Amino acid sequence: MTATTAASRRARPTAHRPADAGGPTLPRVVAAQWTALTSLRSSWWAAALTVVVSGVLTHLSAQASSVDPGFDPLGSLTSGVVLSQVPPLVLGVLVGTGDFSTGAFRTTYVAVPRRWPVLVAQTVATAAFALLTAVAAVAAAVLALLPSARSRDIALDLGRDGTPQTLVGMTLLLTAIALLGLAIGALVRRSVPALTAAVLLVLVLPVVLLLATDLSTDPLAPATGGVPPAVAVVNTVVAFLPSGAGALLTADVVVEGAPDLGPWGGGLVLAAWIALPLAAAALRLRTRDVV
Amino acid sequence: MIEVAALTKRYGPTTAVDGLTFTARAGAVTGFLGPNGAGKSTTMRVVVGLERPTSGTATVDGRRYADLPAPLRTVGVMLDARSVHPGRTAFRHLTALARTHGIGRARVDEVIGMTGLESVAGRRAGTFSLGMGQRLGIAAALLGDPGTLVLDEPVNGLDPDGVLWVRRLVRDLAAEGRAVLLSSHLMHELALCADRVVVIGRGRLLADAPVAELAADGSLEDAYLRLTAGAVEYQGRAVGEAGTTAVGGAR
Ligand SMILES: Nc1ncnc2c1ncn2[C@@H]1O[C@H](COP(=O)(O)OP(=O)(O)OP(=O)(O)O)[C@@H](O)[C@H]1O
Ligand SMILES: [Mg+2]
Repeated sequence: MTATTAASRRARPTAHRPADAGGPTLPRVVAAQWTALTSLRSSWWAAALTVVVSGVLTHLSAQASSVDPGFDPLGSLTSGVVLSQVPPLVLGVLVGTGDFSTGAFRTTYVAVPRRWPVLVAQTVATAAFALLTAVAAVAAAVLALLPSARSRDIALDLGRDGTPQTLVGMTLLLTAIALLGLAIGALVRRSVPALTAAVLLVLVLPVVLLLATDLSTDPLAPATGGVPPAVAVVNTVVAFLPSGAGALLTADVVVEGAPDLGPWGGGLVLAAWIALPLAAAALRLRTRDVV
Repeated sequence: MIEVAALTKRYGPTTAVDGLTFTARAGAVTGFLGPNGAGKSTTMRVVVGLERPTSGTATVDGRRYADLPAPLRTVGVMLDARSVHPGRTAFRHLTALARTHGIGRARVDEVIGMTGLESVAGRRAGTFSLGMGQRLGIAAALLGDPGTLVLDEPVNGLDPDGVLWVRRLVRDLAAEGRAVLLSSHLMHELALCADRVVVIGRGRLLADAPVAELAADGSLEDAYLRLTAGAVEYQGRAVGEAGTTAVGGAR
């Protein structure tokens, strides 16, 4: 009975509007993901911590070495970069897992049923947010050198050989690490396992490998001139890990026994570490139910 | 309009939905009933494209959900009140959702007003009560002013005032010519707001009829209990019965 009355009053308000007037285009999904990312306190905490860790560690390191006779303030520029990777890594993981660890994925993928634009948009939003954070963190590192430089009357020359590359490299490294976190998070989907995997891969694994070779090579053995094969193997492996490849971005370092990838090669290796899990996450999104 | 045709969904050995066919027509509220585990939520998840059918089809206005050019403007979905990141405020949650379809701030404020969430819109969703979360889910479903609504137990957790409000809301939405598919375990509520009911048990269709017809001799609840008598999978027992031999039916 009610149905007939309802039908006779039928006036569908959506009828006058072309059905595809307002679909989920990629720029719109990017805007939505930017809102989603910036509306979480954890994102801002991660950004603030990145800047603070970078500034404080650089300051402490410069302060400590400012008593050396040949003190070079710029030598301390990268001293905070290893630990200041942690907050961007966590930020990326939380963006990647956020939908699935909470149930918000239902809202997200009902709005964007093609799904892959969400992953692209998360990548863009995370890259933009991490890039801004990284610029601030690198600026903080530079500023943190000033007190010790002034105490020794040394002027900072940021245009000096290699310094521009270091500054750009640090910025790109921090951004890339956030994207690596995102890729791992998007693939693993659960926060704790994803965080564990990310920290193990980026921070723990290279240290463990290097320690293991240090312990296994006999420091008293007569120097034969060449690099011990075990060291060469480990250094090569480390150069292809995210942290080793990332370190190549910030400085032209030559690691004994490892192939000289250079900053571009290091960047490519790091990009592959981001692209592969992202591609796997996209494939999983595309072929499986989202539950 | 939602059309489900010969829909089957299996999870490994479990068949959640088994050859289900029904239609939720425009201009009507279709009540979706069945015992716990009957497959109602699964059917709805397949309809909105979160899961793929093992076989059969589910379409909205003749298209697969994934092929809809503007899904939010076509289908309003509320599956589970916990479809929000607890760290995000209600306002930001709705804003992010709106931005996927270029829906403006004015409409976000409008649905916040419609669902009575003005005073808590700036609070993080994780601090919400069950009913407030439910209202936020309904706000999200209304955001795109869709012609079809899929609501999974929308009155679950709402206060009497909220139940009355949802009843009026779905009646009004249907009166405007929209199709509303609404699952619920509250027979009295469905008797008041549904035009038609689809009853399923163990994933299979048990009945698809106008409420008036089912409730013709007795109440809708009587008809439901009669229909689902053989399809209840999870049965409670009275305290006195505990430990004694079950009278019948699956445990
Ligand atoms: N992701 C999943 N994996 C495995 N089994 C599932 C999954 N989702 C649902 N099921 C099973 O499918 C069946 C139907 O579940 P569903 O949630 O659709 O029931 P329902 O009718 O919504 O029940 P309720 O009234 O309790 O909400 C149940 O047996 C359930 O255990
Ligand atoms: Mg259910």
